[in-house]
Amino acid sequence: MSTISLPQSSYIRDNSRTFIDWLKSWLLTVDHKRIAILYLLSINFFFLLGGLAATLVRVELITPQGDLMSSDVYNRAFTLHGVIMVFFFLIPSIPAVLGNFLVPLMIGARDLAFPRLNLLSWYLYMIGGIFALIAAVFGGVDTGWTFYTPFTSTYSNSNVVMSITGVFIMGFSSILTGLNFIATIHKMRAPGLTWFRLPLFIWANYATSIIQILATPVLGIALLLVIVERVWGVGIYDPALGGDPLLFQHLFWFYSHPAVYIMILPAMGVISELISTFSRKRIFGYEFIAFSSIAIAILGFLVWGHHMFVSSQSVYAGLIFSFITMLVAIPSAIKVFNWTATLYKGSISYRTPMLYALGFIGLFVIGGLTGIFLGVTAVDLHVTDTYFVVAHFHYVMVGGTIMAYLGGIHFWWPKMTGRMYNEIWGSIAALIIFVGFNMTFFPQFILGYLGMPRRYHVYPPEFQILHVMSTAGASILAIGFIVPLIYLAISLRKGAIAGDNPWGATGLEWKTSSPPPTFNFDKTPIVTEEAYAYPPEAAERDAASWRPGSPL
Amino acid sequence: MAEQQHTNAHHHGDRHTHISRGTYYRVFVALMVLMVLTVAAWWVEKNLLHIPGWLAVTIAMSIAIAKTVLIVLYFMHVKISSRMTQVYAAGAFVWLIILFVITMGDYVARGWPPQPGPLP
Ligand code: HEM
Ligand SMILES: [Cu+2]
Repeated sequence: MSTISLPQSSYIRDNSRTFIDWLKSWLLTVDHKRIAILYLLSINFFFLLGGLAATLVRVELITPQGDLMSSDVYNRAFTLHGVIMVFFFLIPSIPAVLGNFLVPLMIGARDLAFPRLNLLSWYLYMIGGIFALIAAVFGGVDTGWTFYTPFTSTYSNSNVVMSITGVFIMGFSSILTGLNFIATIHKMRAPGLTWFRLPLFIWANYATSIIQILATPVLGIALLLVIVERVWGVGIYDPALGGDPLLFQHLFWFYSHPAVYIMILPAMGVISELISTFSRKRIFGYEFIAFSSIAIAILGFLVWGHHMFVSSQSVYAGLIFSFITMLVAIPSAIKVFNWTATLYKGSISYRTPMLYALGFIGLFVIGGLTGIFLGVTAVDLHVTDTYFVVAHFHYVMVGGTIMAYLGGIHFWWPKMTGRMYNEIWGSIAALIIFVGFNMTFFPQFILGYLGMPRRYHVYPPEFQILHVMSTAGASILAIGFIVPLIYLAISLRKGAIAGDNPWGATGLEWKTSSPPPTFNFDKTPIVTEEAYAYPPEAAERDAASWRPGSPL
Repeated sequence: MAEQQHTNAHHHGDRHTHISRGTYYRVFVALMVLMVLTVAAWWVEKNLLHIPGWLAVTIAMSIAIAKTVLIVLYFMHVKISSRMTQVYAAGAFVWLIILFVITMGDYVARGWPPQPGPLP
């Protein structure tokens, strides 16, 4: 294909004459690539909104007194942040945007197995989001993203039912995405694309889909029962009515621990692609990485009680949950070791996506290891409900998922839009984000260890210096998130034409034009080799042909 | 309409067959009978015999499970689905058992040891 102009026809172009036609062609599309773009826009919108709520929280915490808002408003601010970020950004982010765009392309299919279901899932996401927004506009919720009973079901007088309904509806969107991926990956692989030739991104999304369809219904039921108790007074969680508040925590974490793997597994899939491409090497230990995704998906269902160590759960249950928690770390570590081994003797180029990938490895290791601390009952008793936990999960969710999301967006941007972003600005933004992130969240480990509880807006003055550092870091981080918005938008008009395969990567998605035609491939590709089939000497050849001035 | 689907189903080949209309009605009748049984069991327990609680629950649960199995196999077509679909359907139940067993494990073990504090 020509590298001078964009292809004549692609999924983005259409020949609608009026604005209404054009709008319809997007809002009623069943093309997985267009739905991915719809998700990209809506998910980023929610991300900015969640970021706004985070800003409120961080600004309030600059001083030890509660001077910006009352404790009640503060509760609503961090709940808004948590609900939006978890349910409307992190859970759908990589599967719904990158997965939707890439799963059919990577397996050589024309679309997902159920294109209309895919569109429905976007609408459900939007409806759920609108409920959550209405709840926020009319006073917000003050329960925290975990919706713990009996507070939610009995005492809280904020918009609990509205928010829960939003999350409930969004859950179905997540289930439909998982369902679609499983059917597609089973049934629609191109000829010759056997399971062990699949890109690891596909394995990761497959494992994620299993979690989505097995865990999400339990969240739905748990939340629905909160509404039932709140509205009709049926005794389920309230002891006064014969219920048990801990039942909610069991049901909630049966979903929400696996849900953290809904967030991190697709991210790990992205990282496998990036590491291999930018080291020019076959990925080390393909089967181990593939099966560790499945192992994480399964083991992830057996550890939920580590969120309940101090909840009056039986100490024996705590002991067993603690033990199994140690086991989940094994498959996670397998991945990290395999990525590191892939880097070894690779021809590493520090392009923007690779910067994010390397950032991911370091930050995920810190996040994962502090997870192990928290999984040890004796340590957790000390630091549970402190900023130590807050730092832990931000290291995995921001340092892990968001790093991979941004890395993936940059890596596949030329495929999605046909144009390159500005590499220099890309690297600068990646570095700003890395610095800002660590400055925001590392102090929180120390704060938590010293005893700063989470979810309080008034704190002893000796913690102020660390809080100020954290807020300063957050401002840097915010700049780092805004810069890509600008240069990516500019690249849509001004970016260099990317061509089919700007990275010299393997994978079927790079064999079609950029942006791809509506049905992805002019003729069905036939696969004859494994994934990441970089010839053994590719790394050396790359290194030998490097000249000063060529991209790092 | 039904005839249409009938012929289509045959075209699919492999191990897909179809469920006849008669079977649907028979399953429906079976479900109705089971429903009557549920109510009858409750009535008997309330008015005629004194059944111990655990037995009453076991009976009610067995009837409920029988209904579920019928619905899943026939109305949800798992009986005539591919092996893969059957594995997934069974998997969902395994997961349900995980949820129940581990959660109940906590409930059973609550209050051991009865005194809070270091284990003996
Ligand atoms: C090596 C794997 C991991 C282990 C062993 C681990 C362990 C833990 C433990 C024990 C807690 C409970 C702390 C407490 O409340 O006292 C916790 C909290 C949390 N973890 Fe992890 N974790 C791991 C990975 C992850 C990942 C990958 C994510 C997300 C992408 C994540 C997200 C969270 C969140 C959101 C919470 C806090 C929930 C809340 O109370 O609001 N964790 N983790
Ligand atoms: Cu967990």
